[in-house]
Amino acid sequence: MNEDINDLLARYMEGETTQEEQRLIAEYLRQTDPLPYEMKPYKQMFDLIGERPEVPTAKALEHFAKGQDPSKPPLKGEASFAARFSPFKGELERVLVRRVLLLAAACIAAFAFILLMPQKADENLAIAYIDGKELADQTLAMQMGQEALTEIFSNGNQEQQLTELFNEP
Amino acid sequence: MKHPFLSLIIFALALPLAAQDGLEINKIFKGEVVNEKAMKESLVKGDNLAPYKLRVLHTAKFTVGDSRRDEVEALFEEDMKGRLSEDDENLELEYRDGHLYYAIVQLTDTRKGQHRYICYQCRKTTGGHGITLVYMEGKASLCDLRNTFKKK
Repeated sequence: MNEDINDLLARYMEGETTQEEQRLIAEYLRQTDPLPYEMKPYKQMFDLIGERPEVPTAKALEHFAKGQDPSKPPLKGEASFAARFSPFKGELERVLVRRVLLLAAACIAAFAFILLMPQKADENLAIAYIDGKELADQTLAMQMGQEALTEIFSNGNQEQQLTELFNEP
Repeated sequence: MKHPFLSLIIFALALPLAAQDGLEINKIFKGEVVNEKAMKESLVKGDNLAPYKLRVLHTAKFTVGDSRRDEVEALFEEDMKGRLSEDDENLELEYRDGHLYYAIVQLTDTRKGQHRYICYQCRKTTGGHGITLVYMEGKASLCDLRNTFKKK
């Protein structure tokens, strides 16, 4: 047995043992009394390894990611609530929520702006453009506007109508 | 989109810049069809138009040749599709020699209580075709406008 265990320990130190072989080594070191002196450092090492926290299983991690307690069946509504505050998802959720809130606030601000804008649009403005030049001449702009409307609603000014009449072939 | 606030505010600001936005004749007012230097244009908004029950008045006058006249006419006719109705109350239309000669068209309202009108007149001149184009917006009815602007 001693030869076997020495061989197993040598392979263990090389990292070549299986889980079953490691279990055999641990069992030997735990149960053998008195333990040979040269084995004591291995026992101390296995004791230390045995004290480390249990590595979570893949299923437990999955439950954790979903924010569920694997020992309890999820209650209605509890899973989504827990998932929302899960440490894995929390940061992502916070960023998303912040962005959605920002976008919603931007939309509200924009709509408020649009609703207020008609008053802005109604602000007094009178511009005339002649030969491609902008003239901020209120009187001229009004005069041009009125002339155009008079011309339209009188269906052409009389001068033009007379010109057309006499130019007709 | 790093700055949604900024983008939306810019979008909101751009909305009222041109009241006749969405209309084909806007291309003419923008100088995309006829050279701006060849146009006499006026844009009036606000209190100055209160006596006429209008809030926007945009006019343009220019002289063009046959092809440009056809282009302007086509754009105006495209906008005429958005007219309120075929009733005489909302529409005055006259064609001569197969071309639009004169038109006053009430468009469907985009804002409640704010009527929109587009007007067109094309006269033969020595240099080609003298066109007058008008966009109006306000509470005035067509009847109000006729009473105000029609020469007695």
